Amino acid sequence: MARSLRLTDPARIPANSPGRGIPDVIGRPGPSPFHRLNPLTKATLATTTAVAAVVLGGLVGPSILVGAAVIVPAAMAGVLRRLLVMAAILALPIALSAFLINLFFFPGGETVLLRIGPVAATAEGLGFAMEILARILAISGAITLFYLTTRPADLVVDLERRGVSPRAAFVINASVQTVPAMVERAGQITAAQRARGLDTEGSIWRRVRGIVPIVGPVILGSIAEVEERTMALEARGFSRPGRRTLLWSPGDSSREAVLRWAMVLALAALIVGRMSGAWQ
Amino acid sequence: MTLRLSGVGYRYAGATRPSLLDIDLALPNGSVVGLVGASEAGKTTLCLVASGLAPRVVGGQVRGTISLDDEDVDAWPMHRLSQRIGIGFQNPATQLSQVASTVFEEVAFGPMNLGVDRSDVVDGTWAALGSLGIEDLAGRDPARLSGGQQQLVAMAGLLAMHPEHLVLDEPTAQLDPAGTRLVGAAISQLAADGVSILVTEQKTDLLAAIASSVVVLAEGRIALSGPTDEVLADPRLADLGVAEPAAVRLRRAATSAGVDTARLEAALRD
Amino acid sequence: MVVRWIIAIAAFLVVAFIGIVGFGNFATGIDEEVFYDIEGADSFAVILAVALIVGFVAYAAVEYAQTRTFASISRQFDTRTIVLMPVAIAINIVLGAAVANALKIPIYLDSIGTILVGVLAGPIPGALTGFLSNMLWTYVVPPPFNSGAAAAFAIVAAVIGLVAGLVGRAAWLRPRPNRPMGQLLTGAVVTIGVIALMAYLSFLGYEAIIGESGITVANDNVAFVILGWLALALVVLTVIGLLYMLFARRDLTASYVVIAGLGTGIVAALISAPISANLFGGVTGAGTDFLVAAFRQAGTDIGAATLGQGLISDPIDKITTFFVVYLIVSAMATRMKARFPQGERLFDAPATDAADDGEWRGASA
Repeated sequence: MARSLRLTDPARIPANSPGRGIPDVIGRPGPSPFHRLNPLTKATLATTTAVAAVVLGGLVGPSILVGAAVIVPAAMAGVLRRLLVMAAILALPIALSAFLINLFFFPGGETVLLRIGPVAATAEGLGFAMEILARILAISGAITLFYLTTRPADLVVDLERRGVSPRAAFVINASVQTVPAMVERAGQITAAQRARGLDTEGSIWRRVRGIVPIVGPVILGSIAEVEERTMALEARGFSRPGRRTLLWSPGDSSREAVLRWAMVLALAALIVGRMSGAWQ
Repeated sequence: MTLRLSGVGYRYAGATRPSLLDIDLALPNGSVVGLVGASEAGKTTLCLVASGLAPRVVGGQVRGTISLDDEDVDAWPMHRLSQRIGIGFQNPATQLSQVASTVFEEVAFGPMNLGVDRSDVVDGTWAALGSLGIEDLAGRDPARLSGGQQQLVAMAGLLAMHPEHLVLDEPTAQLDPAGTRLVGAAISQLAADGVSILVTEQKTDLLAAIASSVVVLAEGRIALSGPTDEVLADPRLADLGVAEPAAVRLRRAATSAGVDTARLEAALRD
Repeated sequence: MVVRWIIAIAAFLVVAFIGIVGFGNFATGIDEEVFYDIEGADSFAVILAVALIVGFVAYAAVEYAQTRTFASISRQFDTRTIVLMPVAIAINIVLGAAVANALKIPIYLDSIGTILVGVLAGPIPGALTGFLSNMLWTYVVPPPFNSGAAAAFAIVAAVIGLVAGLVGRAAWLRPRPNRPMGQLLTGAVVTIGVIALMAYLSFLGYEAIIGESGITVANDNVAFVILGWLALALVVLTVIGLLYMLFARRDLTASYVVIAGLGTGIVAALISAPISANLFGGVTGAGTDFLVAAFRQAGTDIGAATLGQGLISDPIDKITTFFVVYLIVSAMATRMKARFPQGERLFDAPATDAADDGEWRGASA
């Protein structure tokens, strides 16, 4: 852009312009030191915690992980209450089904604790259900902590800075914005259909029948917009090859890099130990 | 700096008939050319061809030449052409990049894609916001703006790439009267700044106010063209599927009712 | 082109073979009690995933060696595909969450977007759409759409997208309307034959599971009876839909849709069962849990229960999904479809244009 056009003439920027910087809402730092960790560090913590919970298995390992890698950092970041509420909402359907199914339908369970009609809760089933519960809590807790302390856009900018292609970054970023937009659209259509007397509650068959007139327009409408969006992006230089300019990126330090590698190596050691049978 | 179409024709992929034929059009500096016509007359197609999206993105086949300052742009890739010619569409929401959480980032999206230096991106973005008078929106979420404001943000996103020419396909079609006034004022201001603008518009009242000349398309060819006053007062306009501006209809009604419009207008002017 | 595919498939097979022979933990063998081996199934899933990645890398490497570019891969990622992918991902997540949380029916409907991208753009964008959908579903999208379980199944979603891409590339979803009755009957017989064969094989499987486990299932076992009726009802509905499409619209593509869905569903079930069994005790909080419970009550091991659930749910789910995708693709304007990388395989090429006078030219850039 060697050409200088009148629109860039600094004299045209009015006096009340916020100046040469970017608006301070862009990339505003988080409220706590944990929030301000690099997004990749927090993502690594969430992933290694979740995988470690599965690799460890049992009841004790995942429980310790929940305490050390979820509860303590969440308390430090001041999001403990929200984390507990959200993790409960997130994990409740899985946890409840897993708990009940394993409690009552565990095959080979002999120590009967409780009998309800044709099914019986057994001690073996209870033990197994507790293990599954601990695992699910560790996984959903780790992910919720990441979600509560990281803006998706920050992670994407950071990944792009590290060399992820701008096109991949676009797909991730646009997906995150499209989900709520589509929900809003579905909500509008649902309200309209309800007003016309369509049922979205009741028996399975009625629910299935109710969902079709909502889903159809949402899907077809979104797909019809693809063409316009494609042209709009092309008109804005989207297909230019090579890296693009970033306005800002989250901070990172060599200490954090060491921390990330330590987490990954610890997980690898855990997996190797588990697979080689050196430790069960 | 002139965008010129000479003998341009265009045919969509798989179509048996061309959608555009023998289009000759020039967009000199600072001009606002209005483009009108019945539906399916080829207005949108002409916008796509003039901006270079057809055939580069849309496919299909083109003939004739499109030139910028007498340089044939046939071999230019879209990202190079988009720095000289910007194109805007009627739906404000689909023009947003969907990756920006603030208006500032939305407007900066184009220059960022072009890999412009960061400080130039920032300056250019403020300048583009300033030229449309929407700097106070910079920190807002673009998805939560009114349609008129979104359309201005989309235009600012094009301006941030410093185009010399803007092609706008029905920019006010989905806007309320307030939004239409915002966009109309912005177009006049941009033309005064030296940008040339080709604008498709159903609202001939708006064109009467902002366009320096008007082109009427019918079945893919130019049916009428000339200075705005002449074309919009042309009696053939209605037959070509174009609504006349209210002023023209009023004048005709007054004349047929026996009012001397020339004297009336002179009296009103005083 | 052919060389690349041969080398990629060879790499896949070699890695899979080495993995199974060298690293797979199959020492415990098939457990006589439960007809299933969790450790073995686990190794199998990991080895397949690694082999798939190695196969892809081999393909890319050969292409780079031949042409110094990754054109055949990057061509699948034009701007249009890049714009479609977020829409597809949102469709997956929103619909998947709605079905799992609200409808509680034993199918998922969380791969319509994945299969759509695969069919329109190609195997690699399809795989990426599936992978990203499940990753974002867990890590990035806000509650109540968030799902803690999805990321673990990202590899399954990727394979679904890959298979859908190959189905699209093979032009299976091209409409074949107004075929003569003979062809339609052949199509119907072949399709129903395949479904019947599948049903018979799974019946044999259940016999083996239940027979081997030494537990007799009483006829009055409520859950099992419901399960049986439900599975039967879904299969019957699918067959009716297929026959309607075959004979009302005389569209032979119905048969292709069913076979593509069946194949994709079986592959998905095989890969997802061990993940589901190991990570979540076979339970993911969705409507499919009901099936798992039924199997477990019949006395099967977790692995067998999740596999049994998958083999019922997945083929029906994927047939339905392919059906929906076929409807969507049919509803799209030809001009719109044609611009996607694999779009021209979805309709019959129109009659050639009027004679070219040489003046007309396409995009040169």
